[in-house]
Amino acid sequence: MKLKSTPSDKSLIRAKSNETALSILLSFIIVLAITILSGPFAFADDSYQLGHGYNIGPFNFAGYSDIVVNIPDEGHKTVGFGDLSLFVTGHVTPIFNPFIEAELTHFDFISSERSGPDRGNGSFILERLYDDVTLTDAVTFRFGKMLAPVGEWNQIHAAPLVLAAVRPAVTDQNFSEFLTGASLLYGDPDGETPGLQLYWQPAGELFEQPSGITPDQYQQVEGLHITYPLSLRDQIGFSFQRARDIHGIDQSLFGLDFQYRVQKLTLQGEGTYADLSGHTAGLVRRTELGGYLGASYAFAEDWSVYGWHEEFAGRQIRATSRDILGGVAYRPDPAMVLKFEYLENIGGTPVNPTGLFMSWSILF
Amino acid sequence: MFQLFRTLVLLVLLLPIGVAEAGELLVIANPSVDTDLLTAKQIAAIYLLRVTLWADGTQIIPVNREAASDLRAQFTTALLDHDNAGLAAYWNEMHFQGKLPPLVQESEAAMLAFVQKVPGAIGYISAATPAVDVKVLAHVP
Repeated sequence: MKLKSTPSDKSLIRAKSNETALSILLSFIIVLAITILSGPFAFADDSYQLGHGYNIGPFNFAGYSDIVVNIPDEGHKTVGFGDLSLFVTGHVTPIFNPFIEAELTHFDFISSERSGPDRGNGSFILERLYDDVTLTDAVTFRFGKMLAPVGEWNQIHAAPLVLAAVRPAVTDQNFSEFLTGASLLYGDPDGETPGLQLYWQPAGELFEQPSGITPDQYQQVEGLHITYPLSLRDQIGFSFQRARDIHGIDQSLFGLDFQYRVQKLTLQGEGTYADLSGHTAGLVRRTELGGYLGASYAFAEDWSVYGWHEEFAGRQIRATSRDILGGVAYRPDPAMVLKFEYLENIGGTPVNPTGLFMSWSILF
Repeated sequence: MFQLFRTLVLLVLLLPIGVAEAGELLVIANPSVDTDLLTAKQIAAIYLLRVTLWADGTQIIPVNREAASDLRAQFTTALLDHDNAGLAAYWNEMHFQGKLPPLVQESEAAMLAFVQKVPGAIGYISAATPAVDVKVLAHVP
């Protein structure tokens, strides 16, 4: 869950575009339902597995839902969809492997604010739209709109897959989360040598995110990500991203992230440093620095406790924000999780609000 | 007598070659697959979604048994070296990144029928089940 950072001042235009977006999403769901119900087109007679989607020919239809309850100490209390995402994966030929992900985000069923810009009317977002061209077992060329490989959290940000309902600021607030352009990916088929991804976005973002969801928007992005595998799901990652935002601010970001498991204990973290130049006159800082450390411990088969601590000094933050979060998670299935957590701002300018947060998320 | 003894010895020596032993798994593939043999490492790379195409460019469709299956436990222990929960979480993450987790077939007969029918499919069955109309790519002790 990404907490809303600024109210939009274009609510009328957004309401109109959201209407269209919701119509598209509804149509998509109806087509999906009809297709699923038309059994004869199904890809043989495989059994549906929660989290694995549904196969129809060379296409797989899947998604995730994230119902969230936000009870910050100050500000609006809400219940609604953090995300309702649908994604389609196709493996048709070695050169045609399309992927599309669209989602409805910030859609409140109940809100303590009856109307106004902070009311979550929902935004329709095209998160990813790309094609993969398999060059060899190890090398893939990707073009279109994709997630930027900065840290592990950004790449697997679906609510059922991440540590906590509230996302540490450093995992999404100081870099371009998406890129529209081309990328070259290398992955060792044996999983023993480091993986590499190079990417380049020459102009603006395709289907740009609303400013209420992503305050910083980027026009030119390039970078690389290196992953050193430690085991199947454990790794150390190094990220570099150079980007220019729509205000003409140039930034060079360096990031380090890791994930490491020891029996029932999982440790993870991410740190970034960014140097800002160009049109930086209105900024509080010329450098951004932040990091979080998180852990979870499975104390029973389906239950775990988790937490993270973060320090974040963003470009518009005068006093370094310091947050601490603790929670408990119930995961009856690998694709389903209920999280109940409390976040406390323990110093500096708050980035995430102090309060109680819950989420019920399912990968389907 | 000596001739009979020599024949018996030869038979015993030949048994490991191409003959399934009790408790073994057979890794099988659709007859259209343009490969005759896979190593344990190659099978792991397929099920961990690191390799997605056969040599001729056809999509590989890995098939698993249901999570509670003893055969799946045997296959997972022998070749994938991780527990079911860890693999399930891994496949969910890979799925979100555009790679499809292995399909699931909930019986030996369904697994065999699927692999027989679907081009590019790879799966596994008990060595006690006759591997009819499929290619056997590996024996897993």
